[in-house]
Amino acid sequence: MGGKPSRAKFWFLLHSWLAMPIWAFVFFVCLTGTLATVSQEINWLVDPAFRANKPSATAQSIGFDGALAALHRAEPAADVQWMMQTEDYFAIQARATYPDASSATLYVNPYSGAIQGRAPEVTLRSFLRALHGWLLVPFKGGTSIGWYLVSALSIPLLGSLITGLIVYKKFWRGFFKFRIRFSQGARVAWGDFHRLAGVWSLWFVGVIAITAFWLLIQAVMWTARVSISTAGPPVMVAREEVPIVQPGQAIPRVSMAQSMEAARQALPEGFHPTFVGTQANAYSHVRVWGRSGSWPLLYESASVNPYTGAVEDSRKLSDRSKLELVTESMRPLHAGDFGGLAVKLIWAFFGALLSLMVFSGMLIWTKRTAQASAALLKKRERLASAAVVLQQEGGQ
Amino acid sequence: MKQHNILLALGLLSCAPFALAHNPVCRCTNAAGGTIRCVGGFSDGSGAPGVKLDVIGYDEKVLLKGKLGADSSLSFKKPKGEFYILFDAGPGHVVEIDHAAVE
Amino acid sequence: MNAWIDASPWRRAWLRWRFHLCLLILLVPVCFFSASMHEQRLDSGQQGIGMRELPVKAIGPWSVRLAEKTLMAPTADGAAGHVKPFVAAFCQDCVPQIRAAYLRIGKPRNLRAAGALFYGSLYRTEAYLVVPPTLKQADQIWLTVEGWDGSVHQTSWPLAEASPVLLDWFKQQGKIE
Repeated sequence: MGGKPSRAKFWFLLHSWLAMPIWAFVFFVCLTGTLATVSQEINWLVDPAFRANKPSATAQSIGFDGALAALHRAEPAADVQWMMQTEDYFAIQARATYPDASSATLYVNPYSGAIQGRAPEVTLRSFLRALHGWLLVPFKGGTSIGWYLVSALSIPLLGSLITGLIVYKKFWRGFFKFRIRFSQGARVAWGDFHRLAGVWSLWFVGVIAITAFWLLIQAVMWTARVSISTAGPPVMVAREEVPIVQPGQAIPRVSMAQSMEAARQALPEGFHPTFVGTQANAYSHVRVWGRSGSWPLLYESASVNPYTGAVEDSRKLSDRSKLELVTESMRPLHAGDFGGLAVKLIWAFFGALLSLMVFSGMLIWTKRTAQASAALLKKRERLASAAVVLQQEGGQ
Repeated sequence: MKQHNILLALGLLSCAPFALAHNPVCRCTNAAGGTIRCVGGFSDGSGAPGVKLDVIGYDEKVLLKGKLGADSSLSFKKPKGEFYILFDAGPGHVVEIDHAAVE
Repeated sequence: MNAWIDASPWRRAWLRWRFHLCLLILLVPVCFFSASMHEQRLDSGQQGIGMRELPVKAIGPWSVRLAEKTLMAPTADGAAGHVKPFVAAFCQDCVPQIRAAYLRIGKPRNLRAAGALFYGSLYRTEAYLVVPPTLKQADQIWLTVEGWDGSVHQTSWPLAEASPVLLDWFKQQGKIE
């Protein structure tokens, strides 16, 4: 700690005070966020209907068109709004609406076309996201207090990161100190864990805090109705291009595969379509979405005229402003949603580590720092003795 | 397919904070020399260059078929009689301004 | 430490438990749980098509149910004015014959000016009605439906019937001519 114990003490207390009074809240948000990163994989584990099992080793994917045809054979009245397959181990998801005005998301096997099941009305993914993102507080007029509460945690999180680095002198030496002293009591063991986990998850805490801070700014922008979007107004199919179709005749529309191929041609190399939205009325386009080949954090999309097959509007990486490239990358970075299963598992692991750091921080405090602080407030001479405690801490 | 439904389905948007609105906007004012100047755009602040703007009589006769210029505006001579102005950015994206509502 | 030992039992309890008071924040999601579930279910049409549904009405050869999606007053959308969402549900047999539907306050002058376009499956489709700056006494809510064969059919509801909330909003704003 050197010759300035009071300054070191200040940073140490600040580090403790940043999260301690709200530790349960931070812990809850970290834990739900951790689960949210792998919510779809959890769904895959618990619900066999969500899996894309091959009926045989040589089975070929029937694509969205095959799945759609199979769906219509099984449920002729279903009206499909979109189809999506984001990972090849997930079933195709198809959103359909029925004559009784209800909608459901169906899980369709991408090889056999069998309808394997239905997503619950509130999926694990949307529930965890609402719990983590806005504590289930409903949105009113574009704002949820819950969203503000959660995203504001980015400030103490960032503060904890910075003060932690100041307190933990020469932290880079800690990377390979794989020493957790279990024999000296719980406080020492948790302290060792807190520091070791801290240095290894520095980058992760930084990413989470900065991206969460952006989510706070975004909420302010929503509330103030400020937009930085350069996307522009929607393009509609011209009235004169919509064909007249007599009752009983089929509406002449291109297939999903043709739409996806048109999008592939129009968008840069490496575009991988994973989502097709059908027409929302006779004047809207078929929308094809997929991750960009060169920057998989962002999606690119194309609007295909369903009568001609022509791409009439698109949203590429190059259409975005620099500001949009950065800000649109924030959410996928926060959620670890850009590199398939591997990245999701890394995010879940470090998310769990961060949750444990909050918990261990609380334990360390309750076992020691609370008393140290109380004593400090009481009598000045206690400062010296507390510094001794600290000195022992810092010297480890 | 509305944009925000797609974003929700893909998980790119966590909630529907407000309808990512692109409602059409058009304002027409009386200008010097008996002309009317109309400026079009969308509620998110984006402009509407090249969008159709027609002037139509109460008898549904089209008096003027125009397109907004690069500055999203169009000026034209005020027609006689009763008419309305139709800013038409595509089906469902229309603003109608009665001649009495020209400021 | 002495600070703890000297303190009254209340103060001791406070010093000991104050940092666990933040556990109370978990009451927030607990309180909003059922409201949140209800909100998410609304989007799947399992709780009816909207918050206030009108009886079935014939429109040309077809039939439709109209509903207010929410019972809220119109919300501001910048220079475009105020908007209010409505939901329409068409009969099963008519859905394949319909290509578009529009909603407007006041009778449309022509098909191009028929108002807000409905989006989504016609079994349960939504439109954001842009409300006019002022309301004329006789104005009704007009639904215009366009068939794939090019035919056009219309029907209307008095505002007091279709959306009392909207009528009250106009009254409150003093925007009725």
